[in-house]
Order: sequence, then C-alpha cells, then structure tokens
Amino acid sequence: MRLLTPLIGRSEATHAGSVEMVDLGVIRRAVGAEDDNKDARVRHGRCFASRRSTINGRAAMVQVVKDLYQYRELIAVLAWKQIIVRYKQSYLGLAWAILKPVTLMLVFTLLNSLIGITSGDIPYPVISYTALLAWIFFQESTSDGVVSVVSNAQLIRKIYFPREIFPLTGVVTKLVEFAINALILAGLMAFFGLAPSASIIWVPLLLIYIILASLTIALAGAALNVFYRDVGAALPIILQLMMYASPVIYPMSLVKQKLLVEQAAGPWSDVLYRLYTINPLAGIIDAFQRTILYGQHPDLELMWPGILVTAVLLPISYAAFKHAERHFADIA
Amino acid sequence: MPVIDVNHVTKEFRLGQLTDLKQTLLHGLDRLRGIPVPVRSPFKALDDVNFSVKEGEVLGIIGSNGAGKSTLLKILARITTPTSGSVSVRSAVAPLIEVGAGLIGDLSGRENIYLNGAILGMHQAQIRKKFDDIVAFAELEEFIDTPIKRYSSGMTVRLGFSIATCVDAGILIVDEVLAVGDLAFQRKCFDRMEDMIKRQGKTVLLVSHNVRQVQRLCSRVLLLAHGNIVADGPAPAVCNLFYERSDEKIKTNLRQRTDNVSSGEIELLDAYLLDDTGEVTDRLIYQADVTVAIVFEAYAEMTSPTFAVGLQTTDFVYLSTPLTGDLYKGRTLKPGIHTLNCRISRLPLLPGVYSLNFRMNGGEFQRVVFHSENVGHFQVKSLNSRSDSMLEGLFELDAAWQLDVGTSETNRSVGSSTKSAVEQTEGTARDCRI
Repeated sequence: MRLLTPLIGRSEATHAGSVEMVDLGVIRRAVGAEDDNKDARVRHGRCFASRRSTINGRAAMVQVVKDLYQYRELIAVLAWKQIIVRYKQSYLGLAWAILKPVTLMLVFTLLNSLIGITSGDIPYPVISYTALLAWIFFQESTSDGVVSVVSNAQLIRKIYFPREIFPLTGVVTKLVEFAINALILAGLMAFFGLAPSASIIWVPLLLIYIILASLTIALAGAALNVFYRDVGAALPIILQLMMYASPVIYPMSLVKQKLLVEQAAGPWSDVLYRLYTINPLAGIIDAFQRTILYGQHPDLELMWPGILVTAVLLPISYAAFKHAERHFADIA
Repeated sequence: MPVIDVNHVTKEFRLGQLTDLKQTLLHGLDRLRGIPVPVRSPFKALDDVNFSVKEGEVLGIIGSNGAGKSTLLKILARITTPTSGSVSVRSAVAPLIEVGAGLIGDLSGRENIYLNGAILGMHQAQIRKKFDDIVAFAELEEFIDTPIKRYSSGMTVRLGFSIATCVDAGILIVDEVLAVGDLAFQRKCFDRMEDMIKRQGKTVLLVSHNVRQVQRLCSRVLLLAHGNIVADGPAPAVCNLFYERSDEKIKTNLRQRTDNVSSGEIELLDAYLLDDTGEVTDRLIYQADVTVAIVFEAYAEMTSPTFAVGLQTTDFVYLSTPLTGDLYKGRTLKPGIHTLNCRISRLPLLPGVYSLNFRMNGGEFQRVVFHSENVGHFQVKSLNSRSDSMLEGLFELDAAWQLDVGTSETNRSVGSSTKSAVEQTEGTARDCRI
C-alpha cells in the first residue's frame, strides 16, 4: 500500500490519465478476458514515441526495412567494430577470412581426386570454391547471428535499440569477408582462364536471398539462445549436417542425375528430390555456380521450394524474435 | 503535457532458476495433459507505479537497495518492458546507465568514441563535431590512440561519461554514475550535470544513493520502497523522510551490530537524549537545550578517561565532536555503572535527522577503550516556518544583516555599498536591518 506522509504533496500531473497518443505510433494490446485484474489495465502495453515509430508485429516488411535503414550507421559501426576486434592483434589480419574456404577447397579437391566427381568443363577447385563462397557466407552469418544477442548482453542491459540489429550486424560483418573471398574466386578463375559472363548480375540478388535465409534461422535462433543456450551449442552440428545436405562437395547436377534420371531411391526419388530442394542453399549454391561459372540463369524450378519456405518462415522467425525481445534485458 | 507518463507500471521477476530445455518440454507436456506444474513465485520489483514528469523537470529517485529504482529507469529507457501498465516517453532518451559498459578494450579511445557514440544514437557527423569536446572533457588527449584495455579504470569511466553526456537528447536518465573518477572529475561531472539542468533545460531523471547530491540537483524527488512510491514531492521534504526511514533501518541494524570497537573493559548499556525538561526524547525542538546521556558499565579501573560524543549526519558527515579533554586527567574510573551527561545548549542544528557517535579513551597512552559510530539518532523539528525555510545547510550561523539602500536620484541599484550611498542613507537614517 502506498503510504503518503501528509507533509508531502503529490504532483497533480500524476493522475492526468488520458493523453492523445494516437498520432505517435502507439500500440496498446487490449486486455484479454483472462485478465484477472478488475480494472481495465493495459497489459504488456508499450507506448513509446521516440523518433522512430513502434514496430507492429503485423506491420509491412517495408516498414521494418525503413526502420532498420534509420539504424544503418549503427549497423555499419558495429560491423566495423566486429572486424577490427577480430583481426586487430593478428599479423595476417583479414587474410584469415580466406583460410577457411581455401582449406576446405583444397581438402575437397583432394577428396575428389579419390572419388572422382565429374565436373564437366570447369575445374573442380573452382566449382567447389564457388559453392564454398556461398555456403560459408550463409554458415558464418547464421552462427554469428544466433549467438549475437547473448554475446552482446552487456549492451542489451545498457541501452535500447532494435535488437535485430545484432543478427544483422553479423550478416554485414560476414559480407566483408564474402567480398574478400570473392576476390580469391576471381583470382582462381583467372588462373584457370575462366571469364565471368553477364549473368553475374544475378549475384547481388542471390546474396540478398542468402541473407534472408540466414536471418530466418538467426532471428529465431538468437531469441531461443537467450533462453536456452543449448541452441548455440547445437548449431555448429546442425550447420555441419546442412552442408552435407547442400551441393557443396558435389554438384547439384549429380543430385538431379541420381534422383530424377536414375531414380536411385525407387518410387521415393521424386519426393526426396523435392525435400532436398526445400533447403534454400541447394538452389542458391547451384545458382551461384550457374551464374558465375556457366553464364546461365538461376534454375527457378529448383529454387522455388526454398524461396517459398524462406518467405513463410522469415516473418514467423522475425515475429518470434520481436516477441521475445522484451525479455532479453532480463534474461540474457 | 508531461514528457514522461508512467501508468500503473508493474514489473515482475520470477524468483529462482531458469528451467532447462528438458524441464520446459516436460512441463509443456504436463500442461497439455492437465497436470499442474510448479510455478516459480514472482517478485514484484515495481508495484503499480504512477507518476509523470513535465518537460524540464529534474526528478530524483531515491530509495534503499532493491527498491526498484534501476528497474524503473530501465523501463523508461526501453531496455526492459513492464509486466503490465504503460509508459510513454515523448522525447529522445540518453541513458547514462552503467557508463562505459559498451566500451571495447581492444579499440583505442578514438575508436571507442565513434562506436559508443553510435550505440548511444549519435550520427557520425555529430560525433566528429563533438569529438574534441569529448576528449577534452575526459582529459585523455595523450591517450586517445591507446587501446582502452591499457587505461586505468578511472580513465575508462571518464571516457564513458564524457561520451554519454554529449548525446543530444531531451531526457537524460542518470543511474548512479556521478561518482566516477577522482574528486576533481566528480566535480566536473556534477558541474556538467548542473549545466544541462539549469542552462539547457533538459529533463533529468537521477538515481543516486548520494541523497545530498539529489537534494541539490533535483526540484522534485520520488522515494521508492519495495517497488512502491512512498513519497513524491519537493526535494528537502522527501530527502528528510528518506533519512528518517533509513535511520530506522540503521537503528535496527545497530542492535545486532558487533563491530563496535571495544577493549572489553566497558560495555555500553544505553544512550539517550534528554530535553530541557528532563524527558527522554529523540525529537528535539530547533535550538533547544539537550543533554546526551550515555550509560555504561566499567569492568576494570581506568585512569584518565576521556570521552567524546560526536554529532553526525546520517550520511556520515561529522559535524562536531565535544571532547572531555583533560577534564578527568589523573582521575580513576572505578568499576560499576556510570552515566555520562553531555549538555549542549541551544543546539544549532537545522531540522533534519542526525546521529551520535561515542568514543572513550583511557589509560596512560589514551588507547581506545570503546568506539561506536552510531549509538543513537535524533530528529530536530522546527516550531516556526523560519527554520523550515533554512533547510539548505546543516546548522545556523549567528548572522546579522545590514542593507544600505541607495537614493533614487542617483538611480543606483538597491544594495550597492559604495561609500557615497552609505553616507547618504546614514544621513536619512534609513538603515535597514533584516
């Protein structure tokens, strides 16, 4: 109970209840019938009128992008910090970024010389490096994104900005590493005397697709990781498995050959093929190789299941993230 | 229109451990099957809090540990959300909570300014403009390109404070960050805060355990206890209420306290105050005569005892310590129960809560026989409004005033004390004593 001493007067403004807030971009979630409080109290109410409008769960994607655009400087600075901090005290600096794809490419090439996957006109190292370029960007931005909220707990307890900035920062950071790896690919192609064709203009679009696919996992994963660190621990294994389920080591044409032409799994072959293509990375990696190396357009017939899955899951993942967001400061 | 509106805000935390994934899944399964699952009991950090802040108002929030002060600020800064109720904030907020928490050890001071500025919502262009100010205020010109992991802790917080106070925001939320750095820097922080309040007219919410500081900076103070607003009003009144309340707590703590320094030769039995009619009291009238009585039992003989009864504020500012000095030199205190009376006439302390400390030395080398920092407390009350209006300060000085009023022909401002003005007023006998 409140215990007011008579000598102290309360400010009148305290009870000034109803204030015009409609124009301020406010959401108030109405009281449910299950509310055991007798008074009409606003539950989980948030009404803030800072310079940016409040994000509504049902708001259009455009609004989300607009809001994030306002924070572009912060994302850029945080990404710059990530890169600086990671490489500051190392001798090789950013060169470390190429170590992973190059090593994997060499291992895969060695492996391929034993099992002998036919790669057509294009040398296998270039094919696998192109696949790794897409795959590693996806893998690293996803795993960075999932742990991003927990690893920034200190900041989360200190200041507010939209929390999705953390997973996004992970993506932007990896974009820089992607650019460096792309240079290596260019060198590799030059070495083997391969020239890119005009269809390379598809790559930016494919990059956006990778980012969206990565965020689909990263947003929900980051939110879950706040409550259960199991997610962060399980993720490397899941991603490892996902790599084998994507055409990284072997080309997509081999999968088509086995399942669609040879019907290797008998009556289940077509179903298996569809299941395989649900993985967005199947279409993305194939499209990377097609557009960069073969001068072809992406194979939409192969890509649509992945696009559909991403389009459905990304808003759900984002909504889950925003829903969990308010607990981050208390729990992370 | 208030710039901050807090309506029925309640914040609950659940006590105990977070359950792991397995437990959560099992509980979920149980819930589906209708089996009751153990519920962790909630803890109310804030319980139905209502208040609003007008633009330009400087609101202090005080209360003991765990009263909900920081939780309230975090809700206002949007860092966390209320369990129920609503908050509206109609201006950009610059939170000074855990200053320096976003600083990265591997980055240099310069890099950190750009990073932390961006985190606090400044644009790069703004930061560039204020960069020199930030560095100068933090006094880090020489070290600005050194990684801050090599900084001393004082340097780090100075940098953090300097960046945070450069943010252009209508509302400043300050949580216990004025006590950073050395005394000189604290002074600077305080001055900057005063500048923001008085000259820039910012709305400030200030949480501090330094109640004296709150009293000085704030026009209005909220007193929180156990998540409730206990008092909301002008700073001096609420601060005094807080002193009284924390004194109760100090008093109860004292009962179980064993850290009084004692050689074991004496034991303190009682300490009380007598007013001028000889009644035991702990409420004194302003400027009344008072006697402090200390009852103790001596277990051994003690030569040349000296006694000291000190007066202090509840936040341990020593005001005065009457000493017996050489009064009992060469005399011996016999074992037994004794009462020491210390009479103070016309106690000059202004209304407020004060406490007493007691020390006894004795023997050839005047070693400490007994020392307690807090043997009791008392409140000084006022009878008239005059002493109420003098709440700024601790005691009254015997001041006499004289105002020499200039003549209207020379059109001099009132109170000018040039020689001619004094002569003129003396001639007309218009001395004005207040």
